[in-house]
Amino acid sequence: MTVQTERPPSGPADARKADDGGPGGPTSRAASRAGALTPYLLLLPACAATVLLLGWPLLKDILLSFQNLNMAQLIQHVTEWNGIDNYKETLASEDFWRVTLRSIIFTAVNVVLVMVLGTLVGLLLARLGKRMRFTLMIGLVLAWAMPPVAATTVYQWLFAQRFGVVNWVLDKLGWHSMADYSWTSSQMSTFFVVTLLIVWMSIPFVAINLYAATTTIPDELYEAASLDGAGVWRSFTTVTMPFLRPFLYATTFLEIIWIFKAFTQVFTFNGGGPDRLTETLPVYAYIEGVGNQHYGMGAAIAVLTILILLGLTAYYLRVVLKQEEDEL
Amino acid sequence: MKRKLVAAIGIAGMMFSIAACGGDNGDDGGKAKGGKDGYAGQTLTVWVMDGSAPDQWQKDVAAAFEAKTKAKVKFEVQQWNGIQQKLTTALSEENPPDVFEVGNTQTPAYAKTGGLADLADLKSSIGTDWTESMNQSAVFDGKQYAAPWYVVNRVVVYNKKIWADAGIKSTPKTRDEFYADLKKIGEKTDAEPIYLPGQNWYHFVGLVIGEGGELVKKDGDKYVSNLADPKVAAAMETYKKFQALSKAPKDKDEATPQQGEVFAKGKVGAFIGMGWEAGVAIKANPKIEKEIGYFTIPGATAGKPEGVFLGGSNLAVAAGSKKQDLAKEFLKIALNDQYEGELAKLGGIIPNKDALQTNLKGNAAAEAAAPAAGGGGTTPLIPEWAAVENPPNPIKTYMTAVLNGKSPADAAKQVESDVNKRLGQKQ
Amino acid sequence: MKRSLFGRLWPNVTAVVLFVGFVFPVYWMFATAFKPTGDIISENPVWFPTHPTFEHFKTATHADHFWTFVTNSVTVTVLAVVFSLIIALAGSFALARVRFKGRRGFIVAFMLAQMAPWEVMIIAMYMIVRDASMLNSLVPLTLFYMMMILPFTLLTLRGFVAAVPKELEESAMVDGCTRAQAFRRVILPLLAPGLMSTSLFGFITAWNEFPLVLVLNKEAHAQTLPLWLSSFQTVFGDDWGATMAASSLFALPILILFVFLQRRAVSGLTAGAVKG
Repeated sequence: MTVQTERPPSGPADARKADDGGPGGPTSRAASRAGALTPYLLLLPACAATVLLLGWPLLKDILLSFQNLNMAQLIQHVTEWNGIDNYKETLASEDFWRVTLRSIIFTAVNVVLVMVLGTLVGLLLARLGKRMRFTLMIGLVLAWAMPPVAATTVYQWLFAQRFGVVNWVLDKLGWHSMADYSWTSSQMSTFFVVTLLIVWMSIPFVAINLYAATTTIPDELYEAASLDGAGVWRSFTTVTMPFLRPFLYATTFLEIIWIFKAFTQVFTFNGGGPDRLTETLPVYAYIEGVGNQHYGMGAAIAVLTILILLGLTAYYLRVVLKQEEDEL
Repeated sequence: MKRKLVAAIGIAGMMFSIAACGGDNGDDGGKAKGGKDGYAGQTLTVWVMDGSAPDQWQKDVAAAFEAKTKAKVKFEVQQWNGIQQKLTTALSEENPPDVFEVGNTQTPAYAKTGGLADLADLKSSIGTDWTESMNQSAVFDGKQYAAPWYVVNRVVVYNKKIWADAGIKSTPKTRDEFYADLKKIGEKTDAEPIYLPGQNWYHFVGLVIGEGGELVKKDGDKYVSNLADPKVAAAMETYKKFQALSKAPKDKDEATPQQGEVFAKGKVGAFIGMGWEAGVAIKANPKIEKEIGYFTIPGATAGKPEGVFLGGSNLAVAAGSKKQDLAKEFLKIALNDQYEGELAKLGGIIPNKDALQTNLKGNAAAEAAAPAAGGGGTTPLIPEWAAVENPPNPIKTYMTAVLNGKSPADAAKQVESDVNKRLGQKQ
Repeated sequence: MKRSLFGRLWPNVTAVVLFVGFVFPVYWMFATAFKPTGDIISENPVWFPTHPTFEHFKTATHADHFWTFVTNSVTVTVLAVVFSLIIALAGSFALARVRFKGRRGFIVAFMLAQMAPWEVMIIAMYMIVRDASMLNSLVPLTLFYMMMILPFTLLTLRGFVAAVPKELEESAMVDGCTRAQAFRRVILPLLAPGLMSTSLFGFITAWNEFPLVLVLNKEAHAQTLPLWLSSFQTVFGDDWGATMAASSLFALPILILFVFLQRRAVSGLTAGAVKG
């Protein structure tokens, strides 16, 4: 099994060139006028689905966030508007800000770890011989393919207080106080396991893609660099990195979204505990809204969560806007 | 306060509280609307909680129900974990469960939401001799919103073989003796003396009741946390002392994992639980059955057993159910003397009528439970309370914090704002 | 000499260490599932299931409605992925190949859609479905799952479409193909790896979802496997054998799919990822 295809995928340069042809091409002007509607028609199903299946719940959520909606109102189908009370209460609560800060730090730590380690593993893949690369690739693919619910359960077992294999190994390595250690007992140990789980699950995506991206760097670029007298490090910074930059941007963006939204791992592993100290924003919104049956409040927290996520990714979105502008 | 009323149930274990006797209206099965085949083809959905309704009881009630109404009944067993969320959404739906079990401490909250049907006629037809104290939790604002089903309190379930191996001849009568015996087991055998996870909060509530403490207090017109009360702290210290003898996790409750399953492995001297939990152990390991014994949780002095939480359940009919009459027919059968008595016999629970107590004779778990019931109580029977039980339950958080070394006062302070927030939550 | 030996050695050693690190949790899941209970709860771990047993698998699959859950999960997942691929392919073609007004807006809109934190909007979705009387049905589930994976699928496919040289399509059209024929005969085969790799992401997401199905479908006939798996901890407590057997069964289809499609999938992903 190799990663080479019949036709190696092209790099960003090629991809961009493909756009340059423009829609008209050799076709006549009349045909192009008739075809002017085509892109909209092609996008219609996707847009309709998005509006119906995402826009509607989102709108509903925003409406709910201005309501006093608890057990009684939900059961009796009563709508009680209460203005911006939910927002006022949420924004005034210390908990919310603490959770927000925690979420951002959690996301940052995980994304940095995933990107750095993922890139290193990807570069390692490029260096390995065929057989070794295949072996490592299998390992990565297995970790990548584990559904999060199953993976979280497996980590609970690995880190189980009694009979967990991790505690046994630590004990045998001479760290005897870990023999019966409860990993769910403190904030840091819970985050440690959750981070390990997320990093383990996320590295493969970054590494395999990055490796695939490196295979598309034309050898001539390296040859040219070495003719210029560049060493390993210089050709890395002048050839490899610039070539991979758009890829790294895109992947970082995806990882920020995925990790910020990570619900299954955090919620399933320890339910946001102990003492609610490992609740991240999505978990907090869920516990306050659905768990405490304070649905209007939960909706307000959800809206704020979305705004914060927008803030975190604003930079990348701006880059995309600019880049697309250049292309057109 | 209300606890004292509930306490009367336990007394019922030994004496009769005379209910206002309006006389039983008798069986009015003929009232079933639309004649004998009126309900044929219909299916009634009934939610019962895990551990509540023994299989045999379900089968017998279903058969009797079908014979009488020609309709079928579908029992769906629910897990306690996350039940409030599930029940709330279910009650808002087009097809809610027609009849469902709801915890006694959670009933007032659901009564207030308008999701429960008024059962006044049922109370007057079959409920005139329901134990008054048990009926308290089913009444809200003077209206009958549910039918009392059963209550139950915890006992010590122990492994006779392990106790004998440790050279203990008789079961302990005081808290200190209990502790000394457990200590002895720890020294003389390789078994874990007691399995007591850090968040068996029902047992903790029992200890608080034993100390004469309250979990909440009134502050003006609203309820606030009373965890900082020295009586609560004293209860927690007792809990901590016993928990130190256990290797069970400090941040888990008795259901994860099911303590009965842990006990089933035969390496645990005792656990504090309900009769049906011993059944869990027997199911997991039938060989353990002959080793199982029960005794009343010993209190500070020999004369007075430990305080216990009188956990119990009511049966309610969803206001949104389209089969109101059929649902009431079901309740008339499920709660009649025959099946209520059978439930008491099979489940070892305290039934909803004093006269049915005789069914408990010979049930070791129930006999061990009875002496403590008189000193039992519940969490406050107020609608505001249910929110406190939503996970993550701050009482559990408090317990884990103390067990991990915080002083009870500091731990009480830590969760106070969360408890108050939940108690003050807009309804 | 020595240095180059070291130079050749360390990547391989690192690779072996990494391989073990990545594979171990998966291995341990399967190993535990096959071990008799005595070997699972032993003071010293038993590293290989020397006395394999199917006991735990029996426990796991004997759960009520197991096969209903399997059927539901497969139906919902496959349909969600197929629908999203079809819808996304059309959209991605427009975004990658045609210049039109508002193109940039569409792209950013789908990027925003990709960020939707579904778990926090569950109650809104629940109320919509409830008020439409569609609870306990696989239809809303399929639709929402399709939507959860649609933006990623669309944006990724756009990269794949853009990477197919335009000249190929044009030369096909010069040869007398219509645009649709050119698409089917020339572009689609080239897109196959892209479609596969993109679908993998969709498979994982849809296969794994549980907060939504937990709220929407209370009746067993419309529930899916993740609920069965997440209920294990309450029902089976610390029966790790059964829990791991259940996890293995749950993970197996996705693992097989990955290993099966990996070769084509991985190769194509760059094209998609590069364009983000």
